[in-house]
Amino acid sequence: MEERTEEGKYSNLILSLKVFFSNRTAVAGMVIFLAYVVDALIMQFDPRLLGVTNPNQFTYNFVNPVPQPPSSQYPLGTTYPGINLLQAILEAIRVDLGYSMLIVVGGAVIGAVVGILAAYVGGYLDELLMRFTDIFFSVPYLVLAIAVGFALGRSFTSMVIALIIVWWPIYARYTRSLTLSIKESVFVEAAKAAGASMVRIMFKHILPNTLPPVVVQISLDLGSVVGVFATLAFIGFIPNANTPELGYLASLGLNYVQSAPWTVIFPGLAITLFALSVNLMGDGLRDVIDPRRRS
Amino acid sequence: MIGAFNLKKYFPVRGGVVGTQYLKAVDNVTLTVRRGEVVGVVGESGSGKSTLGRMLIRLLEPTGGEILLDAPEEEMVKYREALESGDKESAEMISRKYSLLRKKGSELRKLRTRMSMVFQDPYSSLDPRFRILDVIMEPMISTGYLRGEEARKKALDLLEEVGLPRAFGNRYPHELSGGQRQRVAIARALSTDPELVILDEPTSALDVSVQAQILNLLKEFRRRKNITMVLITHNIAVVSYMADRVAVMYSGRLMEIGDKDDVLTRPKHPYTMALISSVPRPRPGEARKRIVLKGDPPNLLSPPRGCVFHPRCPMAFHECGWTAEEVAEDINYLVQGKYYNVFGDNVKVIPLQDKVKVEGANPESIKKVLEVERENIRSLTAVKEVTEDSLLIIHAFQEPKLYKESERRSVSCLLYR
Amino acid sequence: MERVKERAKVLEIKDLRVSFHTRRGVFKALRGVDLELYKGEVLGLAGESGSGKSTLGLAIMGLLPRNARVESGEVLLDGSKDVLKRLRDYGSRDVKFDPRKNEKLIKRLNKELREVRGRALAMVFQEPLTSLNPVLQVGYQIAEAVYYHDPMRLVRRAISRNRCTQADLRDLMTTLKTKGEEALIEEVEKRNLRGLEEQILSIWRRQDIHEAKKEKLILSLDKHKLDSKDRLGISIYLRGLQRVPVLGRLAKDALIKEGYRLAVEILTYLGIPHPEKVVRMYPHELSGGMRQRVVIGIAIVNNPEIVIMDEPTSALDVTIQAQILELVSSLKASSNRSFIFISHDLSVLAEVSDRIAIMYAGKIAEVGPVKVIFEEPQHPYTKMLMDAIPTMDKTELKAIPGSVPDMRSPPKGCSFSNRCPFVMPKCKEMEPPMVEVSEGHKVACFLVGERK
Repeated sequence: MEERTEEGKYSNLILSLKVFFSNRTAVAGMVIFLAYVVDALIMQFDPRLLGVTNPNQFTYNFVNPVPQPPSSQYPLGTTYPGINLLQAILEAIRVDLGYSMLIVVGGAVIGAVVGILAAYVGGYLDELLMRFTDIFFSVPYLVLAIAVGFALGRSFTSMVIALIIVWWPIYARYTRSLTLSIKESVFVEAAKAAGASMVRIMFKHILPNTLPPVVVQISLDLGSVVGVFATLAFIGFIPNANTPELGYLASLGLNYVQSAPWTVIFPGLAITLFALSVNLMGDGLRDVIDPRRRS
Repeated sequence: MIGAFNLKKYFPVRGGVVGTQYLKAVDNVTLTVRRGEVVGVVGESGSGKSTLGRMLIRLLEPTGGEILLDAPEEEMVKYREALESGDKESAEMISRKYSLLRKKGSELRKLRTRMSMVFQDPYSSLDPRFRILDVIMEPMISTGYLRGEEARKKALDLLEEVGLPRAFGNRYPHELSGGQRQRVAIARALSTDPELVILDEPTSALDVSVQAQILNLLKEFRRRKNITMVLITHNIAVVSYMADRVAVMYSGRLMEIGDKDDVLTRPKHPYTMALISSVPRPRPGEARKRIVLKGDPPNLLSPPRGCVFHPRCPMAFHECGWTAEEVAEDINYLVQGKYYNVFGDNVKVIPLQDKVKVEGANPESIKKVLEVERENIRSLTAVKEVTEDSLLIIHAFQEPKLYKESERRSVSCLLYR
Repeated sequence: MERVKERAKVLEIKDLRVSFHTRRGVFKALRGVDLELYKGEVLGLAGESGSGKSTLGLAIMGLLPRNARVESGEVLLDGSKDVLKRLRDYGSRDVKFDPRKNEKLIKRLNKELREVRGRALAMVFQEPLTSLNPVLQVGYQIAEAVYYHDPMRLVRRAISRNRCTQADLRDLMTTLKTKGEEALIEEVEKRNLRGLEEQILSIWRRQDIHEAKKEKLILSLDKHKLDSKDRLGISIYLRGLQRVPVLGRLAKDALIKEGYRLAVEILTYLGIPHPEKVVRMYPHELSGGMRQRVVIGIAIVNNPEIVIMDEPTSALDVTIQAQILELVSSLKASSNRSFIFISHDLSVLAEVSDRIAIMYAGKIAEVGPVKVIFEEPQHPYTKMLMDAIPTMDKTELKAIPGSVPDMRSPPKGCSFSNRCPFVMPKCKEMEPPMVEVSEGHKVACFLVGERK
């Protein structure tokens, strides 16, 4: 009630951090997420820190290809053909995380542009773009992704493109609804009165104001994208058999699932844990940008 | 400098059963503003004053009417006369030369440097993601008035001029208090050295002590830079402090316009009289006659016929636009309440087309009631005659126009025909 | 002015200190407020945003949010009931403030105060739309207010009307006409028809209809008997079965129905045309002025002794504001109620108040009879505020330089010292005490103390 004045002394950033850190589950989510990110970075730049020589390939061991249960030598056991699961998961995280990020951010960028255009220009363009997204929404996303993937050929690039195509309509819808409310705000009117062009209003005023909620959405989506990505890999939608990827890793142990369940459980757990962590983190971020929960 | 003629803004309202209706936010408003003067536009919420202001700088496109910019006084007068006499050709000629509404694209953008606006709520009128300096620079950059370092320097100077330290340039709006933000909004509005500034309730979101600071700042700028201002507000005291001329609006129509002192001290339109008398004054115990209007402002989707103010007007008379329904309601009220002893239970009041049927009452007693109550209940003045079979005939009505009451004063009320 | 002294105090606030604990810091909203309210007066509470005037209103009602810590002070109703005791007992302790603990206490306080609110205290908020429930009819909301605070009143009304005969009404009518209202109340009491008198009087006191009509309306009261369902509902209520699931519903329905009749009476009293139609409307169908009348109706329906109005006219247009101000004046004249009228607009307060208290930065700067405050203000802040309000006849406005202090760390000494043109070294050191300069006129400023 009396907070509007003299806010300056407490910087917004500090306040945001305070809000975020008061949510313990969100902090836990962030810690796990950061662990994944750190792992991915190490794998990218200096894999030897974790004792990996080539993070781009699984290290096979055909001497003893049958899955071994967790032991002191293999903390998470091994999977067929003799792959050290812990090491493989550490390697695979980089690929999954990287591609998922690419997919979500790519989808968000395309979606944001389309959403803002549709909402701000309005009229027929809005109608057209939104019917277009409806088409994408009406097809089950997995089917759509597989269809696009087959059309483009089975490669990582085509998988990424396929998933971006599946994902952007969500962001288009979301930014459109955000834009519709921001468009009515007085500062947009003030920009118009100042003579700002449509492009300037859309990308200098509206876009930055839609970003925080979109970032939250990205963080919430990351979990499901990783899941879908791994699923596609799991069902054999993957070109190069030796690339470390969690879904593919899980599929390797599929034949042994009854005698050696850890071969599927641990890669699956890695995916689930990631999805859970980004979701928790996203919830915390949502609190940060929601002014009602900031008091 | 700028003149609006028969300006209209109708907002379509999509309704279910009735189809699209039009909300007449501004209807036939004619208003001219001379260079260097401050015109106050007062009115209550829903009177269309903000819509009018936004149309003047083309933030909203009018549904009808014309806005002339930079036309000399004679041309404006000529245009008005042409409109009144229906001389379309000469009107067209003048409008082609000066029309603001025909400006497009880069021409319009150039015009934006010459007019600007200060909005009511300083909490929402500044983009939360812009630094103060960028906020102030925005009009200069958008219109190409100044660029780069020059714009920066000008923005910093402006900060100082509105009484804020230069260091504020790097802050974000949320770090400032309401008064400081409104200063920033003023700096932004003045950044392209405009000739016309529309002030939409510039102080109503602020505290009294800050309000005085902002008003004095605006006055100072006006004195120094000779800026033409249109001040839109519901606060008559603010208008009285700032304006040279005052326009009073009600339900989308202009009620009265004239020099400030005339309008505020000798209001002519009954609405203005009521409005001014309802303004609370810091004089406790002072005996004064207050006109308290009955009822609420009308629904703009179906405004009353004739004069929009007539249902609440304490001086309305037979030609103001009374309908059979309005008359019937008031008569019913009297018959059921105050004159119950005369009429009893068996009277029925039925509104017909321009007539009101009073069943079961004798015409003589109706006439008597009309005679007595006419002074208080103005709708009764509309009864032209009472026939033998107790049929009340309603007078024909007239739409009020803006009548010239004196040289510099116009009133939209049939009393001043 | 002497009469003010004689009047009974209905509310006394002593050294009230409330602070809000937020993530941005601790805001000291009230920093030692002393104030009295007398019977039958309108006390105007003026101040800028952040002065704590709204917090004071909420504190009196016990409607504080969970992060509000009552550090000290008493709010005494009728000189005895200490409203905020529970919160103060916790808030004044020297422990780390825990909003969750405070919330529990507030919940308990709310239960206790349910009795008090409505009957002793009621509040009207600024924005009528937010204090009305959008999905309930206006009449229902008024009825519910009575149902929660005084259901027996509804029972009495219904039963007495059901029981009375035409002969009763005729006798009562004669008593009323010949001996007046008090005799009527006695007579009703004698005939064991309590609850009927308020129905008769609400018709009798109407100004807008002819005596003959009133008489007819009163005599026809016995026509509005209860139907069998309502009779059943009320008998359920009287047997104390209102908590039984299905039966309770019946009881509530019957009483709410009676409440609608009461709502019509209240709305008529507040000058709303066609009250029978209005009670069946939803808040969004009403205009702003009407809504505010309805909110006032809900506030006064239980005949509270004190009504706190927090900026009741700030969201309204001037002509509608004039209607509401007139209504407040007539409410004051027709009852012996006390009002606290909170507003940032001194001109509005000048119109309605008997006394005015000027608040600044969580403290009372000056309090006194309205004429004195406006004609001989003593506190520099009051004086400067008067010079800063634009009025129709001012040609010059003197702005107050600077801005309100940050309430997280209010300045030492007088809180106005950093904006005051007459500031002395002493002002920065000590808080000025309240000095009584004349009867009922108190000022917290060293300048005044000096002169004495």
